[in-house]
Amino acid sequence: MTCDSVSNLISLYYYGELMPDEEDRLETHLAGCAACARELERQRKLAAALDQRTAPVSPLLLEDCRADLMAAVAGGAPRMAGLRKGPWTLFLEAMASTFSGMGRLRQPLGATVLVALGFMAAKITPGNLSFMRGGAFANRGVSTASMTPDDVFSTVRSVQPDSSGRVQISFDETHRRVVEGRLDDQSIRRLLLAASHEENPAVRVESMDILKTSAGSSPVRDALLNALANDPVASVRLKALEGLKPISTDPDVRKVLAQVLLTDDNAAVRMQVVDLLVAHRDDSTVGMLQSVMQREDNGYVRLKCEKALKEMNASLGTF
Amino acid sequence: MGQDAAGVVGARVGPQVEALIRAAQRGDADAFEQLVRAYDQSVLRLAMNLLRSPEDARDVYQEAFLRVYRNLHAFRFDCSFHTWLYRIVTNICLDQLRKRKVRKEESAVVETADGPIDRMDSFEEEGVDANPERTMWNRQLRGKIESAIDDLTPRERMVFELRHYQGLRLRAIGEMLGTSEEAAKNCLFRATQKMRSVLGEFV
Repeated sequence: MTCDSVSNLISLYYYGELMPDEEDRLETHLAGCAACARELERQRKLAAALDQRTAPVSPLLLEDCRADLMAAVAGGAPRMAGLRKGPWTLFLEAMASTFSGMGRLRQPLGATVLVALGFMAAKITPGNLSFMRGGAFANRGVSTASMTPDDVFSTVRSVQPDSSGRVQISFDETHRRVVEGRLDDQSIRRLLLAASHEENPAVRVESMDILKTSAGSSPVRDALLNALANDPVASVRLKALEGLKPISTDPDVRKVLAQVLLTDDNAAVRMQVVDLLVAHRDDSTVGMLQSVMQREDNGYVRLKCEKALKEMNASLGTF
Repeated sequence: MGQDAAGVVGARVGPQVEALIRAAQRGDADAFEQLVRAYDQSVLRLAMNLLRSPEDARDVYQEAFLRVYRNLHAFRFDCSFHTWLYRIVTNICLDQLRKRKVRKEESAVVETADGPIDRMDSFEEEGVDANPERTMWNRQLRGKIESAIDDLTPRERMVFELRHYQGLRLRAIGEMLGTSEEAAKNCLFRATQKMRSVLGEFV
């Protein structure tokens, strides 16, 4: 084996990826060639230098990822095929029947939005109402034509049999309706605001994503602030933060931002909050950042605060 | 040698993991969560190491495990679950790397609301000691390593990452990337040659 071919194979040798016979021939050559032995030593040093370049994964990031994933799954991410359709699948199907895909929903202000009303009910039971057909209700003229599982969701509140063999059932009906309109339409806006309280976090993220373009309106601003301060899912809070960006000089907004900076358990949220607060500095910014420096344990957030304080020629701590 | 909670990489699925997968396929949410926890640290580490951004790594994590959730019913136990999962993860990471290449965002410098900052500055300073010359040398070396890695194609970078940092064998890497062991070997060879030529003076 020549020195040239050894030089070509040295890295694969280091990684143990040569064929056994190639490896044998290379080792025989190395034993008698000081230059190639040095080459192998260089390969080892290169690998050791590259070992230094691992990006740390903070346990916090891992926990956030897990929490977000489980929230998405529990909230009804599209289920595996073959299982009963969950609300999310039905929701997507409702979308697909009108639009080509969810991506369209991400269009900015003025985009047409579509909201499936049925999904805003607090409790959804895909109804199988076939038991009603031809029973007592038929006598009372209840139309069952529209009561297919796709149209109506119901929650039975009480069931009371009487001695004559009849039964009285009280139930709430939720009809799914599809409405379509522009974002500046008041009724669409109201539905989006309602969606921002919906139990399913995926619906909350989508509605925040649309609402964030119109933070100028005060109900929208309140919804964004409420989501930022209270929503348990970090991705919803991050969307709300994006929406609050244009109005981050508003004193009420800053008050909530300051509170979130000190209390939010998600570092990505805190990083974004620092960005918003320092973009428009006011008298309270320095004090706020200094108190963050006292209690913050995330390196990234500390670094950001430190940088902002240095730029403002302020000391890093209070004395 | 690359291992994970599920056992040796490349092996067929162990009985415990098989039971978890089968339960998750039946819709058992706890089993799905346990399955995620068995593999998610290595997935996040891979994404973080390749993309150097917690936000992007988080996106990869979410996208990958949601795809697993949606498609687990299609897993037929004809390869190791690790390979199947990494096929998904590497595809998503490669897409991200290609997008960055196009956008010329490979630089470690990121734009933020308060001006450009060097992403690497936010990581732990390695090997800082009382010797300023050594610190300077380390800093230069780090810069060189970054630019050497930036010069790799997304595929070379992926193969190098999986072999050097994740400790996977080229045969398993080829299987994950839908290519042959030989093609993966060529990729690793090109990647190391490029790095040796850029980093030669430092080592």
